[in-house]
Amino acid sequence: MSSRTAPMRLNLGRFVVFATLAFAVCFYGIPLLWLFIAGTRSEASLLTDPPFALGTWEAFSRTWTNLTTYNNFQILTWAGNSLIYSVGGVLLSLIASIPGGYALAQSEFPGRKLILTLTLIAMITPSTAVVLPIFLELNLLGLSNTYAGLILASGFFPFGVYLTYVYFSTSLPKGVMDSARVDGANRFQLFTRIALPLARPIIALVAFFSFLAIWSNYFLAFVLLSDDKLYNLPVGLTALVSGSGALSNLPSNDVPIKKPEVVLAAILVVLPVLLIFMAAQRFVRSGMLSGAEKG
Amino acid sequence: MAAVELKNVRKSFGTVDVIKGVDLTIDKGEFVVFVGASGSGKSTLLRMIAGLETVSDGDILIDGKDVTFAEPSERGIAMVFQSYALYPHMNVYDNIAFNLKLARFGKDEIDKRVKEAARILRLNELLSRSPAQLSGGQRQRVAIGRAIVRNPKVFLFDEPLSNLDAALRVQMRLEIERLHRELGTTMIYVTHDQVEAMTLADRIVALDNGRIQQVGPPLDLYARPNNLFVAGFIGSPKMNLLPAKVLSAADGKATMGLDTSSGTKVDLTTRGASIGDAVTLGVRPETLEVVAAGAAVPAGLTALPARVESVERLGNITYAYLDGGTPEVITVQVMGHSDLQPGQEVQVGLRSDQVHVFDAAGAVMASAVGR
Ligand SMILES: Nc1ncnc2c1ncn2[C@@H]1O[C@H](COP(=O)(O)OP(=O)(O)OP(=O)(O)O)[C@@H](O)[C@H]1O
Ligand SMILES: [Mg+2]
Repeated sequence: MSSRTAPMRLNLGRFVVFATLAFAVCFYGIPLLWLFIAGTRSEASLLTDPPFALGTWEAFSRTWTNLTTYNNFQILTWAGNSLIYSVGGVLLSLIASIPGGYALAQSEFPGRKLILTLTLIAMITPSTAVVLPIFLELNLLGLSNTYAGLILASGFFPFGVYLTYVYFSTSLPKGVMDSARVDGANRFQLFTRIALPLARPIIALVAFFSFLAIWSNYFLAFVLLSDDKLYNLPVGLTALVSGSGALSNLPSNDVPIKKPEVVLAAILVVLPVLLIFMAAQRFVRSGMLSGAEKG
Repeated sequence: MAAVELKNVRKSFGTVDVIKGVDLTIDKGEFVVFVGASGSGKSTLLRMIAGLETVSDGDILIDGKDVTFAEPSERGIAMVFQSYALYPHMNVYDNIAFNLKLARFGKDEIDKRVKEAARILRLNELLSRSPAQLSGGQRQRVAIGRAIVRNPKVFLFDEPLSNLDAALRVQMRLEIERLHRELGTTMIYVTHDQVEAMTLADRIVALDNGRIQQVGPPLDLYARPNNLFVAGFIGSPKMNLLPAKVLSAADGKATMGLDTSSGTKVDLTTRGASIGDAVTLGVRPETLEVVAAGAAVPAGLTALPARVESVERLGNITYAYLDGGTPEVITVQVMGHSDLQPGQEVQVGLRSDQVHVFDAAGAVMASAVGR
């Protein structure tokens, strides 16, 4: 790679590329920017000031207090629940999909092709389509209104199996596995001592996608959970917002959940995803395999 | 006792037979080199000895023990791969120590062995580096280090030097030779490289199309190839192979007519030729002589008129490529400098006692240099 770069010259092609990119950044970025700014503003300001006016610290902290203290810190319970569901679900999906994908990629056994096909089908089936069957199943098992039930249901992550399968069948250097076998690694050690450490990027990726799916999962949680102490954030906040009438034009009530609180709630859902993305991305991009072979 | 014994070993991938019945006995401490064209099955055979490929039929014995169905780690072998195959997530020390850790050696013993291997391979400075921070030659030394710490009964090398540049290859070749001298362990080595095969091997195993063509000391294969394949494969530049017909044959003498416009006739001592047979005459480039056109040819040489196509001057040696009307150009090796010029008309002198004769099936026939 050359360390010197050619001087940038503006031609039509490059201009079109940049213009398209700039448009996309604005189109998708502005609503997000608005969301974060709006979190600092009072209700009055939201209605009257220009869209990107900054709010005040007082307004923000009042909104924060209103939202968090409402109904005996209910929202903190939901956030905690969300965390439990996500951590549990992500762990379960990792435990299931990483070894699953590895086995599919690295060994030959009868039915392998069939399992791959089923994985693919399960992957493209919309998750909402199976919510009701899952509900009936968990109901039967008496798990429908429990932490374990939702975690169990969200640990099912065929996309993770497929992603891992693709990674292990394309990116694991055969020579490295062979030489570990010669070195005396048994099947289990091959997986734990060689494949798994080399799969850190894919583990991060599967964990991230699985987290994303579980953290923002509304419908499944909505169907499975009837006790509002077990709600996750999306279900809880939806219930809160519709219950408070914050977004409707009904005559004002005395519930302190108004538009600023709704905005802040949305931020609370989005922010962890952003943070986790940034953490996961670092793993995904690091070149785990350099130096193994010719390199 | 033999270090490695292959008994009628076969391998098929699906319906494709890749190894078609190999019998081979390798003695303790021997350095055996597998050579053969790409796809001839060298790697497959080596990987079968390692236990990385299953055996379709036949038996493999290591140190007298049947290991046909044993795991690689139970065979007492170590293997060095063409691609180095280092563990990218471990530093050099851990790469070398990995198999000792799996075998549950004590910390002190591991440390002792790793340090010893590092000393032999001059890796001491590099122990804490990761593979990504090493040069190709250093990586291959680590791979060798990983192999020697386990004190294997047999070392297997699959083209270990082919990713290295020419200078490094020479250096590493000498290191492997030194290693063999110091450790005295049996080694089986796969290569494409003539020089590696000729210099390292106690015996060369020439493989073609899944079958052993010839086994023997390098100079034996060079001087007395069993068949056309070995004749053409061993030696660089290649032996010249000239198609010919038997014109007359009697009393262990025969006259061959070269398939050229000049119709040059060569008188040979050979057995088993009968008139009309198609044969191939093999002559090494260094046994040929270039004589000026029209000049008298020394006694014992048969002259073949030819034109110089091109000349390669390497300083100490000159290679001349001549068009003698044969299907392939004739290579002549001239020691030192030569003032041959492309386009020049010359005569090639064949020494009739240096001509190998192969029958239509490619098998060697008795001749002055044959057997
Ligand atoms: N896993 C496999 N499945 C099917 N065919 C295979 C497999 N491995 C090797 N072969 C075939 O077996 C033959 C021998 O392969 P092998 O790798 O042993 O050749 P080689 O002599 O080592 O060649 P090279 O010099 O190119 O390394 C080839 O024709 C190859 O296509
Ligand atoms: Mg090979």
